[in-house]
Amino acid sequence: MKGALVIARREIASFFGSPMAYIVIAVWLVVAGASFDFIVRYFAESASGGASDTPLRGWFQMPLIYIAMLIFAPILTMRTLADEKQTGRIEGLLTAPVSPVAIVLGKYLASLVFWLSLWAPTLFYIFILSRYGDVDRGAVLSACLGVFFLGVGYMAVGVLASALANSQTVAAVLATLALAGTFVLGLGEYIASDAVADILSYVNVYGHMEQAAAGVLDSRRVVYQASTAALCLFLAIRVIDHRRFA
Amino acid sequence: MIEVESLTKRYPSHEAVSDISFTIERGEVVGFLGPNGAGKSTTLRMLTGFLAPTSGTARIDGISVLERPIEAQRRFGYLPEIVPVYDDMRAYDFLRYRAELKGLSYRAAKREADRVLELAGVVEARDRWIAKLSKGTKQRIGIADALLGDPPILILDEPTVGLDPNQIRHIRRLIKSFEGEKTVFLSTHILPEVEASCSRVVIIRDGKKIAEGDPRKLREEAEGQMTIVIEGPAEPDRYIEALKDCAPVKSARRGEGRSVEVEAMPGDESLDAIFNAVTAQGLGLRRMERRAASLEEVFVGLTTVEELDS
Repeated sequence: MKGALVIARREIASFFGSPMAYIVIAVWLVVAGASFDFIVRYFAESASGGASDTPLRGWFQMPLIYIAMLIFAPILTMRTLADEKQTGRIEGLLTAPVSPVAIVLGKYLASLVFWLSLWAPTLFYIFILSRYGDVDRGAVLSACLGVFFLGVGYMAVGVLASALANSQTVAAVLATLALAGTFVLGLGEYIASDAVADILSYVNVYGHMEQAAAGVLDSRRVVYQASTAALCLFLAIRVIDHRRFA
Repeated sequence: MIEVESLTKRYPSHEAVSDISFTIERGEVVGFLGPNGAGKSTTLRMLTGFLAPTSGTARIDGISVLERPIEAQRRFGYLPEIVPVYDDMRAYDFLRYRAELKGLSYRAAKREADRVLELAGVVEARDRWIAKLSKGTKQRIGIADALLGDPPILILDEPTVGLDPNQIRHIRRLIKSFEGEKTVFLSTHILPEVEASCSRVVIIRDGKKIAEGDPRKLREEAEGQMTIVIEGPAEPDRYIEALKDCAPVKSARRGEGRSVEVEAMPGDESLDAIFNAVTAQGLGLRRMERRAASLEEVFVGLTTVEELDS
């Protein structure tokens, strides 16, 4: 799998060498920072009681954060494969001695790094709060893992969209539609009848994150995101491999 | 070695490549000649594993490209029609990346990148952003890419497109220098390219192979005759007289200076017959050479025949 690592490294260097990376991260940090500010003010003013209710948990449970991800995640992945196809460089990749598996995994690995770099600056919030009070380490760890697994799934969906689309824009729109669709479907858990709600809870991304922020590491969350990733990457590999038969 | 057997690529609307077969032996430099849209790139794409053929097989050193693409791809360097360079990389970094992608270690990749920059004559572009380079330089970086790892086989799609005359000479010399060492298969729609670099040519039109062989012989075949220039110490008219009853000779006339231009049936036998006819009359012979018609004419001839057929 050396090929995947070589591809990932080039992709990462290219992403951070473009203004795009910094624009995306900057805009995201404005959204994240504004919502963090809002939460901290809210807690400061209301001074609510429960020890389990912390600003950090409140922030991680804000729906806005995850709605924003429906836009930001596709922007991170849209370029990966669609751009190679759009420019025709895909021919150079597929005729080099690397398999479609290595190509897709390389792009996916790079996307995961983009995802982590998007979230890494928010660790600063944890640092700030730890200066002024106790931070529930367990809940923080659980929330961070939740974010990581969210990326595992979201980046794979994005890479698949990029494999399917012939332009970056189409790739981003496709991924946003897919992610938003499942996001809304998951919210159905709160209004559906018990049996259906039980099923919908598997795909309720917001529900997963809400629990993760509360310190509950749900194995269903891990299984859901990991299997989404496996399925999407498998399909992306098939799509790339199938180009030969076009 | 490259073996292509009944290779066909069919699209819903048309057949891009129809039943093409040919073999290229180790060390040969072979041209793949045809007008734009003849199916050259499609054939090369099937040969390199980028496209799967509808039917037929392509083998590299006996390895089926369709069944074991990676193993086959390790054996060749390929310059695609669209040079796969990234605008946001420097030339050297791009080549190092490609070398690593082709399985070279980090250190070997660094060495290889510099080696191929030198070979392709683009050392001056080493540390420049690819976005800022001219089309010709990008093209030569694509050629450098194909040379990474010193592969025994080179497959080049229109290698000199976008180059200036000096650069074209450099690349042709480079390709010529591989003769006997590497197997080279290069596509082109430019006839002088084949004449300059190739020992053999495969000609394709409308997806079909219409001729294959020595470019010079093809020229003769196309015209159904060849031109031989002879010159000796005696008067030109005496040579013309001597060749009157020589069977393969169609006509003889005075050429430049003291030379005689003879039109004869193609083939080495004609040369023997002319030699014998001249010497039988006791005439000396100081010069005897085949004059080839330009391949361009052959090509026009061949395609005209093809057009009449279809």
